[in-house]
Amino acid sequence: MIELADVCYAYPGAERFVLEHADLRVEPGTIAGVVGASGAGKTTLAKILSGFIPHVDGGELSGSVVIAGRDLAGLSLSACVRQVGLVIQNPFNQISGARYTVRGELAFGLENLGTAREEMADRVTQVADLLGITQLLDRSPYELSGGQQQLVAIASMLVLRPPVLVLDEPTSQLDPAGTRMVFGVLSQLRESGCTIVIFEHKLELLHAHADRLHVLAGQRIVASGQPGEVLADPRTDEWGVGATRYTRTGRLARDRGLGPVAVPLPVSFDEAVGFFGGGPR
Amino acid sequence: MSIAIEVADLHHRYLGGVEAVRGVSLRVASGERVAIIGGNGAGKTTLVRHLNGILQPSSGTVLVGGTPAHGRSIAQLAAQVGYVFQNPDEQLFAGTVAADVAFGPRNLGCSPEEAAARAASALAAVGLQDQAGAHPHQLSLAERKLVALAGVLAMRTPIVVLDEPTTGQDARGVELVAGIVDALADDGRTVVAITHDMDFCAEHFDRVLVMAEGLVVADGDPREVFEHPDALARAAVEPPQLLRLAERLGWDARPLTPAEFVHAYAHDPRTLGDGS
Amino acid sequence: MAPALFVDTGSPVHRLNPVTKLVALLSILVIVFALPQWWTSAIVVVAILVPAAIVARRARALAGIGGRILLPIVLVLVLVQGFTFPGGRTVVWQWGALSLTAEGLTFALNTGARIVALVLASVLLVVTTHPGDLMSALTEHGLSPKFSYIISSTLQLIPSFRTRADGILLAQQARGLAIPRSPLRRVRVMLPLLGPLVLGMFTDVEERGTAMEARGFGSTVRRTALEAVPDSPGQRLARWLMAALAAAAVVVPLVQELL
Repeated sequence: MIELADVCYAYPGAERFVLEHADLRVEPGTIAGVVGASGAGKTTLAKILSGFIPHVDGGELSGSVVIAGRDLAGLSLSACVRQVGLVIQNPFNQISGARYTVRGELAFGLENLGTAREEMADRVTQVADLLGITQLLDRSPYELSGGQQQLVAIASMLVLRPPVLVLDEPTSQLDPAGTRMVFGVLSQLRESGCTIVIFEHKLELLHAHADRLHVLAGQRIVASGQPGEVLADPRTDEWGVGATRYTRTGRLARDRGLGPVAVPLPVSFDEAVGFFGGGPR
Repeated sequence: MSIAIEVADLHHRYLGGVEAVRGVSLRVASGERVAIIGGNGAGKTTLVRHLNGILQPSSGTVLVGGTPAHGRSIAQLAAQVGYVFQNPDEQLFAGTVAADVAFGPRNLGCSPEEAAARAASALAAVGLQDQAGAHPHQLSLAERKLVALAGVLAMRTPIVVLDEPTTGQDARGVELVAGIVDALADDGRTVVAITHDMDFCAEHFDRVLVMAEGLVVADGDPREVFEHPDALARAAVEPPQLLRLAERLGWDARPLTPAEFVHAYAHDPRTLGDGS
Repeated sequence: MAPALFVDTGSPVHRLNPVTKLVALLSILVIVFALPQWWTSAIVVVAILVPAAIVARRARALAGIGGRILLPIVLVLVLVQGFTFPGGRTVVWQWGALSLTAEGLTFALNTGARIVALVLASVLLVVTTHPGDLMSALTEHGLSPKFSYIISSTLQLIPSFRTRADGILLAQQARGLAIPRSPLRRVRVMLPLLGPLVLGMFTDVEERGTAMEARGFGSTVRRTALEAVPDSPGQRLARWLMAALAAAAVVVPLVQELL
């Protein structure tokens, strides 16, 4: 379980707080989506959840960050990273540069943690299969396209099997097929008990895969709830989150006096089928 | 209508031997908005990199504004083709956002005053006028992408090529980019954009080019193109959400935008043959 | 992309434990400096380096890369020492105030031969050994993993730095920057582009550090390795023999002098 309480943070030397009195609670074995406008502090929150703030970036952090019952402030960085795996936004920089094949790259973290050779080879094969990158195993990680690098970056973290996984915009470079696959893999991981926090802009996919959605705006978490509830909130535009195509279309219809009145605005495809299926009046 | 871009039987083979584009022919009229879609590695970026001479064809020809691109340097083609790179960090280099955006117009021979004025209006178009004095590295990745876009807008080229302009943008950012695409087209300029966002593609482009394995597997009006399930499957893309919704609802109408959808909905969608 | 120095031909030279090759290089270094006569280096080149390059199927790379490094060095050495060697009396050729002396040429030959042997041995190591393998092998022999990471990531980053520099240059050309033909003006145009390149690298290094830590790089447990580095009792013995040979090359002349 993840529990952030009253977290405030400012980068070293900065006057402005990136987060002010932020609270976040994520149940074990669930997928939490975090949405918010660019610049709302998503990357900062991702680093706080994984202990890089304050262990590496420094700055002023107050409040508590508790993961699986332990306050990250009391743990060393290497203990934090065993608890929480972080996939950073830029896949290029996730690549270590220390290994010259994707296979070696995927094993890098396991080598650091002292995993036995056979288990290491097994896990690498497994994760490559899971993300469909088996054919890349013997290629150089530097010769891959942005999308392929992103899959390698995600795989290099999944292979460590951290109990908590934090992903900062993990599908930005991927095509629709790759994006769907990554979300599918995350859902699979949840089934095996992994707790996942994902920072994303793709609302339709978050709606389909996240158990709860949290909105980061104005330096704090301003809303948390079922994805459907959160995305149907009339304040999504104000928060800079936007709305799904279905909600926008439903809202437009309603503005013109069309569509069912008693039914809430649709968020997902299925809801839209129900909303528009009955005809315009 | 004049032809902005003409590509004939273009092949491109990289040094390592991979043939990324395997025979593409294409005519784009001035003022057209063309979206190129397709999976990672389909050859989209390789294709558009021929439009401003970054890549030279292994065989085939590329005409830009009626004259061959071959033999003209990237810098010469820059007056005609503005190209926004996918990664803004390759493009931004000046000490301030304003200076960076003014760099292109200066290269094209604008006076410092004219370049500064163009930079200011381009920055206003992407909503970053307040950041003119900032260092590009102080901005977020999404903002840096918008600065890179402004840098090309300020060049006021007749053709604008965008490589995945909406990735990493939040809802407002996507809307902003969409507004710019529309404004460019209203101005009679040609826009070619690579995108993974099917909804953005359906709502703001006149024409969709579907690429798979280095070939164009479908090309035409978005409504027609998204009717080709085989081509879409080959390219690993699926139709935009509102089209799928209309199909699921059993409509004959093929709405691409929320406005078209609501219009069809208000009338009798089952008898409307197209979303107009 | 920069031309690859290392090409895996799978030859027996490639398959040697990288540490064996490194010990060989170091032994050659010691031997050619301990025995300064030009023929020591000549024997090393003819009897060891050239056959090894042929077996490795990298002779052409060795000649190409070695030649490019050595040609200017040897040329300068011969000219400078040949004409200005302080102890030069035997004039071989004279032109105005300049005289080429036999002593100078001998000195250039002895020094040059050592440089040739060392450069060729180093190049052979580089073209037959992946830096990653070398670092893994050294880590197994007790080198600090942090140090080994710094070396190998730097080596890996050089090509990526070049790719990035090319990308930046292309993007500026796409914004109408004309690259002049004259090298001097070219430098002036390209100088401002260095800023973002270096700045970008710093940001990258910082982010990369985060990504490394996230993958347990700071962990204090004993590391394991995915690939076993090939080694054999024969190679271990060879390493000791080479070290002993190098030691002998230093000690034997000293002893002879004392006696």
